[in-house]
Amino acid sequence: MTSPATSSASTAGATATRAGGPGAAPPAAGHEMPRAVTALVFLRDRGIFILWGLLLVAFSLWCSPYFATPDNAVLIANAAALTAVFAAGVGIGIMTGVLDLSLPGTAAIASCVCGWLLTHGYPTAVGLLAGLACGVAVGLFNGLVSLRGLNPIIVTIGTLSMLTGLAAVIAGGYTFPGLSQLTFMGTQRYLGVPAPVYLVAVVFVVGTVFLTRTREGIRLMAVGGNAEAVRRSGIHSPRYQVLGFVVSGILAAIGGLVATAVTTEANPQASPAIIFNALTAVALAGVALTGGRGSLPRVLVGALILATISNGLTIRGIQPYWATVWTGVLLVGALLLERAVQTAVSERLVATANLSVHTKKV
Amino acid sequence: MTTGTGSGAGTPALELTGVEMHYGFVRALDDIDFRVHPGEVVGLLGDNGAGKSTLLKVMSGAHRPSGGTLRVHGEEKVFHAPSDAAGAGIQMVYQDLALVDAQDISTNLNLGREILRRGPLGWLGFVDHRAMRKRSEAELDRLGVRTAPMTRPVEMLSGGQRQVVALARSAIRVSGASNGILLLDEPTAALGYEQTKQVEALIRQMADNGIAIVLVTHNLPLCYQVADRVVVLNRGRKVADVAMSDTEPDHVVGWITGARPSQFHAASA
Repeated sequence: MTSPATSSASTAGATATRAGGPGAAPPAAGHEMPRAVTALVFLRDRGIFILWGLLLVAFSLWCSPYFATPDNAVLIANAAALTAVFAAGVGIGIMTGVLDLSLPGTAAIASCVCGWLLTHGYPTAVGLLAGLACGVAVGLFNGLVSLRGLNPIIVTIGTLSMLTGLAAVIAGGYTFPGLSQLTFMGTQRYLGVPAPVYLVAVVFVVGTVFLTRTREGIRLMAVGGNAEAVRRSGIHSPRYQVLGFVVSGILAAIGGLVATAVTTEANPQASPAIIFNALTAVALAGVALTGGRGSLPRVLVGALILATISNGLTIRGIQPYWATVWTGVLLVGALLLERAVQTAVSERLVATANLSVHTKKV
Repeated sequence: MTTGTGSGAGTPALELTGVEMHYGFVRALDDIDFRVHPGEVVGLLGDNGAGKSTLLKVMSGAHRPSGGTLRVHGEEKVFHAPSDAAGAGIQMVYQDLALVDAQDISTNLNLGREILRRGPLGWLGFVDHRAMRKRSEAELDRLGVRTAPMTRPVEMLSGGQRQVVALARSAIRVSGASNGILLLDEPTAALGYEQTKQVEALIRQMADNGIAIVLVTHNLPLCYQVADRVVVLNRGRKVADVAMSDTEPDHVVGWITGARPSQFHAASA
């Protein structure tokens, strides 16, 4: 301790401060979130589920009796499956702070490597594992290159170009058709539900548990939010930045393999539409492009919304172009709503900002 | 000066002797002696360019001094990187706080020292959220702080609450077997009156818990509220080292501006 005079003086000062602070404000007030804020946060975090619910009700009425049937539910789920897998890849990438544009290339190379191995008589398992290994390799490459201080967007555009070219080289300018070994994870149905739907369920359950319940997942999200904070906590943050790319690469490879299985053909053409559909689903889910926030269940619902709109309009015999239009309207609307909610939350929080943080009586 | 240099009871938590820092021909720090005892708050004052930040960087391991020695709890140390300083129980709280906004208080406080679940789930890296929340609550209780529920995201906190979380995080990290040292850089710079009072109370509480605190600030009233002693730098030299109770604001301002002669270097300036 310091000299008696000094310490007693300062302790007295501090005690006076404490007595003055909390005594004035109602003690517990700082801990309760104003109800309006709770409601707004609920709307921000769960709004997409409500939106999907509304869409389902609307289409059920409008497209009665064809929309609200088990068969149609399976159709929608299956249609959403591919977008959902890629959206998971894009989404996890963005949440951890990187926008990985090489996904279509990764999907193409995984698909073609798998296709080459299968047409040359290798076992199915080898083909699939090799495809996944491509995803890991691409992720590592993207991550390690980006760590050198380069902009990940440009790096992954470069990777996309390399991978698309390589995939075409492997396929010799053609495709690998007739890969019927893969139907078990393509068009095959189990209990009436197509294989890709199960796969999506597994991907999203595992991904959600990983990001919210495991140490590595939580750190991955934290790096996306504030890499400097993670570094100062004594964690080697670059490792997690690379991990983000690797997870995103693996998901892209899974997407490529599922696409191959569904069409029983490995195609070296990397479709940029993949990434834009996935990005739409991710943006609908309210995953901020600045990183660090977002949740996989919402991303899944984002993909389901896209498939629902397209399905409902098709049932009504409306041109598919309208589905694209409505998707765009929803996306812009969702962004506007999110901004409005965010502003409202901030305003209400500022009003309570001065409530005390000290409650313990000393 | 009378005392304020601490209890005689022993070794300072952090002691710098004859520290020099040269950048080419520029002497950023010239023969600085500095010490802070466990449980003591030392204000480090000085005008812009006086060497406060440089000294802070030497203490936090970001810079290696050109000369002089640095002792932590009496043991001589050489820091090659901030992680060395952290390993010796020195934590720096920066103005930018470095919190993960989207994550809750518990996650922020436990980052880098997560509690894993017992059993097979723990081997897979599953964390025990409940245990981490409990531990953080206990740690904050010990500091006399209750910010908000542990599950509240940091982005939903006020500026004062954030500052409290950032300070508490560092305090928790240095409260080991031997109490650590906190380096605070303008902890109340962005805060309003009420919030400043909260942070002042927390700083005092941390010192009462035995942590040694170095407080870099331009804010003289803050020093009078929380500091036991103040060290003033002017153009890289230490010009004053006095107990707060022995000095008045005019004198401190004089030392800061150079209008008042140094306690140590007769007829310099």
